[in-house]
Amino acid sequence: MGDFVASAKLDRDMQEMPAIPPAAAARRPLSAEQLIERLKASAEAADVSAGLRALTNYVGADGYLLARHELNSENGLDNVISSDWPFDLVCKRGIELITQLSRTTELDKCLSTLHPAFSMLPEESELPAGASREYCTIIFNSGRNRYVLMFICPSDVILSQQRLKEAGVLASYFASLLFHDTTRTSRDMDLTDRELECLYWIAEGKTSDEIATIIGISKNTINNYITSVMRKTATRTRSEAIAYAVRHNLV
Amino acid sequence: MTESRARESKSLAEPTKRQMKAVSRSDFFPRLVAMQRFAHARNFAVLKTNNSGLPSRRKLTCILDNFPSDSEVGASSILDAYGPTLLEHLEVSSLPLLWNGKEDTQTAETPDFSAFVLRLKNRVLPVCGIALPVRLGSMGNGYTVFAANYLDITSEIIIDLHARSHQMMMDLLVLDERRSAPDEVLSNREIACLQLAGDGLVSEEIAGQLGLSVHTVNAYLASATVKLDSVNRIQAIAKAIRLGYIA
Repeated sequence: MGDFVASAKLDRDMQEMPAIPPAAAARRPLSAEQLIERLKASAEAADVSAGLRALTNYVGADGYLLARHELNSENGLDNVISSDWPFDLVCKRGIELITQLSRTTELDKCLSTLHPAFSMLPEESELPAGASREYCTIIFNSGRNRYVLMFICPSDVILSQQRLKEAGVLASYFASLLFHDTTRTSRDMDLTDRELECLYWIAEGKTSDEIATIIGISKNTINNYITSVMRKTATRTRSEAIAYAVRHNLV
Repeated sequence: MTESRARESKSLAEPTKRQMKAVSRSDFFPRLVAMQRFAHARNFAVLKTNNSGLPSRRKLTCILDNFPSDSEVGASSILDAYGPTLLEHLEVSSLPLLWNGKEDTQTAETPDFSAFVLRLKNRVLPVCGIALPVRLGSMGNGYTVFAANYLDITSEIIIDLHARSHQMMMDLLVLDERRSAPDEVLSNREIACLQLAGDGLVSEEIAGQLGLSVHTVNAYLASATVKLDSVNRIQAIAKAIRLGYIA
């Protein structure tokens, strides 16, 4: 299911793939001024792939993949936003890599923000010419959304940590400018203030009776709120509803 | 499952390694002063959101600053003036915020980077400045703020300061997490039970999946609740997620 959505999105994106092989374009990296100009123009034109190409060029990488870490996806599968990796590689590996990443704990993710991390692709992967099996992952946030930016490293050059960090910061600005609208929709789901208030107190360990005393409404009303939360969030038990709320930063 | 559990136990072992970094919040002062000099600013403040709470009760508090106590402007006047706007911005964007002061000369400018900054309401405070939003995820969110009489800041400096602000917020988070870490480490069984309970399984189902009796599952959940200093299993699950024991 998630695979299908991701690849359908990709399909559209792949058609916009640059005619120049990314490896060739990366030979002469952009200066910081050029990068900012290119990003500004791409943001104005709402051209995601142009902006990402500029960032890829700036860090001297051979290919990029940008994905959004979806909060509401049940299985933790993320959405690939844009990539110039070979189609097969994104379908097989990209999604696998992101899923792997989503298995780390929230604290680990918080503590790896903007830290370029290097890993190796499996031996059998088909890569663009001149690229190595090494890739670099940078996690960054823009508002409530978390994004994962991956670069394929060239085989002959070592990427600069400094430039990768700068690219992470700039990518978050770029995402803030471009995906500003999408951030609001995911906010707080459709839960009402009362429902959130109940969730908050439950997460603090209060029982329905205690919450009834705190908020000053009847215990049955509280239970109704919880039932409605569980329905809206498609969770089966109170525990799961609270886990959902904590994971999604609602309480 | 085994893999994620291995990861958990690894992340539990890590704090000892991180312990070397910073022992108290005052250790962050020299770094912040260096950043302030780099920006050619006069003062700094670090603002942090309270970790949990209702959206309506979420607020920013100043945890570190070097405003002199007798000056007319302090971290609290920044919070009074811009607090709600800053909170709202943190939810939707990572763009730096600039503001101009009351005097005509108190301007904050970034000629080469104006497309990537937003402006707060001008002429509210007797200083100008820049606020850099830092959002790490469900915890460790806030701002580093630099105030000055006049600020002309290049893209290069903004990007560098922003990256350093993130690093500092991460180090602060590590410091805070270590304080709130439970006295006793949760066992793998307790973590597994908590994880499944958080995934919506009732005790019977957890028992079936782990090959234990229902009573054993309940006992594990009860001991995890005590270790996490919680009153019931629901609070324990909430805490376990926040502390990173379960996903």
